[in-house]
Amino acid sequence: MKNIYRPQSKIDYSSYLYILPAFIFYLLFVFFPLVDTFFNSFTEWNGIAEKKWVGLEQYAKNLANKKITSSIKHSFILIIFYSFLPIILGLLIAGLMIRVKVKGMSTYRAILFLPQILSMIVVGIAWRWIYAPKGPLNSGLDFFGLEEVSRAWLGSFDYSLPFVGLIGTWVMFGFTMILFIAGVQKIPSELYDAAKVDGAGAISEFFNVTLPNLKGEIVVALVFTVTLALRNFDLIYITTGGGPGTSTMIPSMFIYKKAFQMNQVGSASSLGIMLTFLIFTLVSLILIIFRDKK
Amino acid sequence: MKKLLLIISVLLAFSFASKAENLRILAEAGDEATLTVAIAQFEEANPGVTVEASYLGWDDFMSTIKLKMADNNPPDLAHGNQGFTVDGTLIQSGLVVSLEKYADQYGWKDLFASGALAEFMWSDDGATWGSGSLYGISPVAEDVIVYYNKNKLKSLGLSVPTNFDEFENALKVSKDAGELPIALGGADGWPIIHVWGLVEGAYVDPNQTRSWIFNAKNTDFSTSDRMMAAQKLADMASAGYFGSDSLGVGYDDANATFMDGQGVFNLTGTWMTADFNSGMGDNVGAFAMPRASGGVAGGGSFALPWHISSKSANPDLAAKFINHLMSNDFVDDLMGVGRVPAQSPTIDPTSNLQAEVIAASNALVGANAKTFYTDWATPGMYDTVTQELQKVIGGAASAQEFMDAMAAESVN
Repeated sequence: MKNIYRPQSKIDYSSYLYILPAFIFYLLFVFFPLVDTFFNSFTEWNGIAEKKWVGLEQYAKNLANKKITSSIKHSFILIIFYSFLPIILGLLIAGLMIRVKVKGMSTYRAILFLPQILSMIVVGIAWRWIYAPKGPLNSGLDFFGLEEVSRAWLGSFDYSLPFVGLIGTWVMFGFTMILFIAGVQKIPSELYDAAKVDGAGAISEFFNVTLPNLKGEIVVALVFTVTLALRNFDLIYITTGGGPGTSTMIPSMFIYKKAFQMNQVGSASSLGIMLTFLIFTLVSLILIIFRDKK
Repeated sequence: MKKLLLIISVLLAFSFASKAENLRILAEAGDEATLTVAIAQFEEANPGVTVEASYLGWDDFMSTIKLKMADNNPPDLAHGNQGFTVDGTLIQSGLVVSLEKYADQYGWKDLFASGALAEFMWSDDGATWGSGSLYGISPVAEDVIVYYNKNKLKSLGLSVPTNFDEFENALKVSKDAGELPIALGGADGWPIIHVWGLVEGAYVDPNQTRSWIFNAKNTDFSTSDRMMAAQKLADMASAGYFGSDSLGVGYDDANATFMDGQGVFNLTGTWMTADFNSGMGDNVGAFAMPRASGGVAGGGSFALPWHISSKSANPDLAAKFINHLMSNDFVDDLMGVGRVPAQSPTIDPTSNLQAEVIAASNALVGANAKTFYTDWATPGMYDTVTQELQKVIGGAASAQEFMDAMAAESVN
C-alpha cells in the first residue's frame, strides 16, 4: 500500500507565485540593466548610434586615465569618513550607554538618527549652506575671533574632500549608533556582571565584553557604509560637483558625466562595471576577515 | 436621402478633423516666456493648429534631449545645443533634418551677415562643423558682456573702460578701495568659462578662437596670444580680483550678491538682463569688453538652436512656427520678454539697461567678435575647461598648466 502522505516530496509551486512580482521587477530593473551595462562596457557607443565592439579597450583606457585613478583614491579617503568614523563614534556612544543612564535617551537617539532618514539632496543643500563663505560655520568661527580659519570650505582645494566626507560621517553615524545600541541590548547582562566581579573598568569592559559581542553588527555596518562610500553620487553632485578642479571627483561622477554629458556610454558602462567589481571585492574582503572561525 | 446626408456629414466631419494639426515642442525652460507669447500668436494666426510645448530645466534637458529625439515618437520641434555633443550627435544619427529648404523659402539667411550662422552649419554626416547645411536657427542673441554697478564705478572715480588696460586698472582701483572687483560664482564651474571667454577675447583674434572651436583637433590652441590671456587670468586671480571665496559661491548666489551691491563688475551673459534690471534698476549698466588693441571682445552666440525632427509628421508646420519666431514682427515681442533679439528691434528698449545691452550686442555683432563658448569644442571640453579654470582661479594650476591641459583635451 502506498503511503498517502509524502511530506516534502511535492513542491508547492503556488509559493513561487508570491515572489513573482518582485522577481519580475528585479529582473527588469536590476538584472537586465546590469547585463546590458556589462555588454555595453565592451563597446564604443554614443547612446544612439550603432554600438562598436572594442573588447577590453574601455577598461584599459579607464585604468590609464589619471583623473579616474585619482578619483578612486578620493573614494578610499571617503571610506574613512563614511565608514570608519561613524563606526568608531557609534561604538563610543554604545559603550557610554552601558555605563551612563541619561534621562530621555530615546529622544536623543531619535535626533541623532534623523540625518539617516533625510534625503541626501536635502542634506547636501543644507550643508552647502552651512559651509558657504558667509554660512553658519564661518560666522561661528568669526564670532570666536577665528577669521584666519574661516574660508569657502567647499571651494578649497585642500579642505573640500574632508569636509564633504564629514557630511557623510554626520549622516551615517546615526545608523551605526542605532545598530550598536540594539546589539548591546542583546548582550547578556551576566557577562557585564562577571566583568565587574573580575574588577574590569569601563575601558576593559568595553574591549572585553562589548566589542567582541558586537562583531556581527560591526560587519553589517562596515559592509553597508563602505558600499555607500564607494557608490555615493548625490552628495558630491549637490555639494561640489566634483570640484574645485577635480579635488572631490569620484568614480560615480565620472560615470554620470561620461554617459550624459560626453556621449561615452561604453566608457561609462565599463567604469560602472569596474566600480561594481571594486565594491564586490571590498565587501568580500570584509566578510572574509570577519568570518567566524569554527 | 437620409443616408446621403449622413455620408456627407461624416465626410465633412472627417475633413475638419484632418484639418486640425498638432505641433509638439520640447524646449529648454529658459524659452518658456518667449514661447508662451509665440504659441498664442501662432495658434490665432493658424486656426485648427494646436501647439503643445513642454519644458525641461537645463541639466535635465541636456542629459535627455538625444534620447528623446531618438524615440519613436519625438517632438516635432526641439532645442539642441551647439557643438558636437548634442547637435553633432543629432545630425550624425539622422535625427534632425536640414533646414536649407526652409531657409530659402523664408529667407532666413538674408536676415544676418554672411557667416553669422556658421554655428548652425554642419556637413550632412555631422562630422564637420562651421560650414555646410543649415541644421538649426534661433531668433535670440546671447552675448557675454560686462555688467557693472554704476554707483560704485562713479564713487571710485572711474568711467566705463575703453580698452583692456583701463578695465584692469578699474579692477585694481576697486580692490584697493576694499571693493570686490568681479562677482563670480566659480563653484558652478561654467561661469568661469564666460570670464575666460572675455579675457581670451581681449588678446586672441576672434577668428582664431572660432576656428579652434569648430575644429579643435586640427587647430592650434597654444598660441602665444592665448598664453598671454591665460597668464592675464591667472594674474587677475592672484591679485584677488575675484575675491577669496569665489570657488565656494554658486552662480545664482554670486548674481544675488551683485544685485545686493557687492561687486563692481559681473562678467556674464545677456540672459541676466531682465533679472539685473528688476534687481538694480538704474544702478546697473553694461558694456562690451574692450580689447587690448582696440575694438571689443565677447563670448556668446545665438541662443539654443531649433531643430526639426526627421520623424516629424508635419515638418512644414514646424518650419512655419520657426519662421514665426524668426519674423520681423516677433522681434519686438522678444524685447517685451526681456531677451536680446538677433535682429535689430524696431521699438525703443524697455529700460536703460536693455538699451546698453543692445548697444553692446550690436558692437559685438558689428565687429564680428563673438567667440561662442570654450566648452563647445569637444564633448569632454566642458569638464576639462571648468576643472582647469577652477584650478587657475584657486591658484592650484599655473597658466602654462591650464594651456597644456586644454591643448591635450583639444586633440582628445
